[in-house]
Amino acid sequence: MKSFVAQSRAEMLRLVRSPFFLLFSVLMPVAFYSIFAVLNGTSVEVGGTTWGTYSLMSMTAFSLIGTAAGQFGIRLSYERKDGLIRLMKLTPLSTGAWASAKIAAHLLVHLIIIAVMFGYSAIAFRTEMSAWLWVASGLWLLVGSIPFLALGILLGMIRNTDAATAIANLVYMGLSVLGGLWMPLSTFPDWMQKVGSMLPSHAYASVSWSIVAGGEVDWLDVPVLLGYGAMFLMIALMLHRRRENA
Amino acid sequence: MGPIVYDQVVKTYGSRAALQGLSLTLPAGKVTALLGPNGAGKTTAISILLGLSKATRGTVRVGEQMAGDRALRERMGAMLQESPVADGLRVREMLQLFRGYYRDPLPLEHLLMISGLEQKAGRRASSLSGGEKRRLAFALAMAGNPDILVLDEPTTGMDVESRMRFWDVLKVYAMQGKTILFTTHYLEEADAVADHIAVIADGQLVAEGTPQSLKSAMPLRKISFRIIGEGFDEQLMLKWPGVREVRWYGEQTELFCEDTDRLLPLVLRSGIPLTDIQIHAARLEDVFQRLTGTHADNGGSNR
Repeated sequence: MKSFVAQSRAEMLRLVRSPFFLLFSVLMPVAFYSIFAVLNGTSVEVGGTTWGTYSLMSMTAFSLIGTAAGQFGIRLSYERKDGLIRLMKLTPLSTGAWASAKIAAHLLVHLIIIAVMFGYSAIAFRTEMSAWLWVASGLWLLVGSIPFLALGILLGMIRNTDAATAIANLVYMGLSVLGGLWMPLSTFPDWMQKVGSMLPSHAYASVSWSIVAGGEVDWLDVPVLLGYGAMFLMIALMLHRRRENA
Repeated sequence: MGPIVYDQVVKTYGSRAALQGLSLTLPAGKVTALLGPNGAGKTTAISILLGLSKATRGTVRVGEQMAGDRALRERMGAMLQESPVADGLRVREMLQLFRGYYRDPLPLEHLLMISGLEQKAGRRASSLSGGEKRRLAFALAMAGNPDILVLDEPTTGMDVESRMRFWDVLKVYAMQGKTILFTTHYLEEADAVADHIAVIADGQLVAEGTPQSLKSAMPLRKISFRIIGEGFDEQLMLKWPGVREVRWYGEQTELFCEDTDRLLPLVLRSGIPLTDIQIHAARLEDVFQRLTGTHADNGGSNR
């Protein structure tokens, strides 16, 4: 337990101290949130709520998808290439403890991101919601980020670090834009709406939009998101097995 | 703690065989150097011992335990060819993290001391130079106060001063009775530090013994001299006891033999007009060359 806490703390420090974290997980989402909120008008209505809160959900989800899938995946790919993973295998720390510490560190950092985004929104745009809605939407964004960690593990299997970086960025940006996180799906052509509505990013953000709108949550989104997460993890495990036996 | 025993170890990667029935015993509490030309299988042999890869056939045991056993990790420290650092962590933080993995770690101050990074404890590990990263890797290997140290080309990338310091520290651990296995491209290091040398080529053991016994097992000592004017007689020289080979380049003559002490008086009494007489001891480098048919490749890599 002691080494799990130490390992989680170290992983968290590493993540937060990375310049990419500050840029992609904090500055970029805050900037895009500000742009979308101001351009559309923070108090203008959208999807049963205002742009100020709607965009807050979208951009927090965007940040968390980037952190969980993109940065986690790229980091894993580098750790494999640099030999850090091999070095860890020489220590008595079990693979399970190592992996769960990484995930715990990520979830804590995700929580910090949510707090920063929500805090910024409340101060800069005077966003108002009942305490229950703040907590419920925040909790959902946190829990719903877990399947994207599975996607990060899968992207981390890519051996070539340059390819991993390119693909991870493409995947997380693509998921965010096509899933309707930047602009609502309703502004897209018909076929793109169909594709977008089937993406995990849309399922993820959609639940948070419904929560803040105080409307009915489409509970089908939850198994969809879970299914994607399970699929990512299974493919990653399959690849891992095949490599171990090679 | 028992010896490290390789028993008929075969490792194949696809159709390529990296180890072809390697059998080797590394005595407990001794320093063993594993030598061999590039591609001989040194790194493969080490990976299997460390549990990073599995033998296709055969076994590697440490005392009663099989290589790769989780319990062994507590007692083993290793330095691989690459020296990865956890980016974002400071030197001190990385050492503390690794100390935390072991039941009975060495004190942080001690680890900083053996790495020579006391002044850089607060620096990000990723900002260290290549040589400093090697030294940090050594301290990480020592973090758990291991009984067994496995070092794959530990001094590659270190400057002369770091290398000297490294071997000084290692000699202290050797005196404490730790079992140490290392590979190196610097044969003078093996000669100076190892109690036991194992030479492998093409995935098999070709020779082993103390540096002294390896050198004396081959007629690699020589007496060289210049002959003034006429007097060179190869047939005569080959009849002298112990002479295995005669080489001459103009006036310069070299006699290869097993025992220079016995040969020297005969050379002096032969009546041949000689000058510039020199006696050369066998070098490990010559032994290595004879055994493996290759030149020692200083500073190379066999990844």
